[in-house]
Amino acid sequence: MNISPTEAEESLAAIQAMARKTRQSIASSGTYITLIVTGIVWLIGFMCTQFLPGEIVGYIWGGLSLTGGVLGTILGLRLGKRFRSPSTIPMAKRVGLFWLLLVLFGIAAIAVAQPVDGKQATMLVILFILLGQMAMGLLFSFSSVWWTLPITAVALIGYFLLPGIYYLWMALLGGGGMITLGLYIRLRW
Amino acid sequence: MAELNEIIHQTVRLRIMAALVSLEVGDEVDFTYLRDLLEVTDGNLGAHLRKLEESGYIIINKTFVDRKPRSFISATKEGRRVFEEHVAALETIIKGN
Repeated sequence: MNISPTEAEESLAAIQAMARKTRQSIASSGTYITLIVTGIVWLIGFMCTQFLPGEIVGYIWGGLSLTGGVLGTILGLRLGKRFRSPSTIPMAKRVGLFWLLLVLFGIAAIAVAQPVDGKQATMLVILFILLGQMAMGLLFSFSSVWWTLPITAVALIGYFLLPGIYYLWMALLGGGGMITLGLYIRLRW
Repeated sequence: MAELNEIIHQTVRLRIMAALVSLEVGDEVDFTYLRDLLEVTDGNLGAHLRKLEESGYIIINKTFVDRKPRSFISATKEGRRVFEEHVAALETIIKGN
């Protein structure tokens, strides 16, 4: 079988394009679900924290976190039906253990630091969540790491420079930003 | 010297193999996922998959998920080897230009 160098170049380009598309598709499929679900939770939760009395905000966050967790799991399981890996089950156990340990370390860090107000406690929780997301991204694919950095920067800017509207800032730029990024990945990648 | 593989060289089959080989060894993708990824019809994909399966380059694992029949596809060890050879042959042709 003989082909010209031009045909060979075209074939090689087609192979590279397909390999890139496959890797991006698999990496982004989990990322966009995480971004949209977390973004919605943040948008509603922080908006309520900014405008509603403190007593009911705790319940709202509890409900939102539970709903977000259940929704994320259901969507993740649906996604899993399209892609199977022999390494998924042991990896899922390790990921679960990692998040459990991160939560315990987060609780310990907050207990030691003794935040003076809700904003400081919130900021610590956000930093731990984003650290966890970053670790997951680094473990599974670099393409799902980059979004944690601008969100962390947004959270820090709001905390240090805009303390009066910190929760509103986190709702619109943190939550809204994640939803926008998630939709962008879903529609454009 | 590596040689071009006539079965793999066909455009759709080349893209199927490129997609499957870029997965981790042992990973499988659903038929509908592969169809959407390649932007081809069910019939077209099915025909090319059969050809690749007959050649021993892929495995089609038919199973039931939530009582619905599903087909999961993965590249075999032989499929990965001949694909690498095919890529090497393409590179040789380009370098020889």
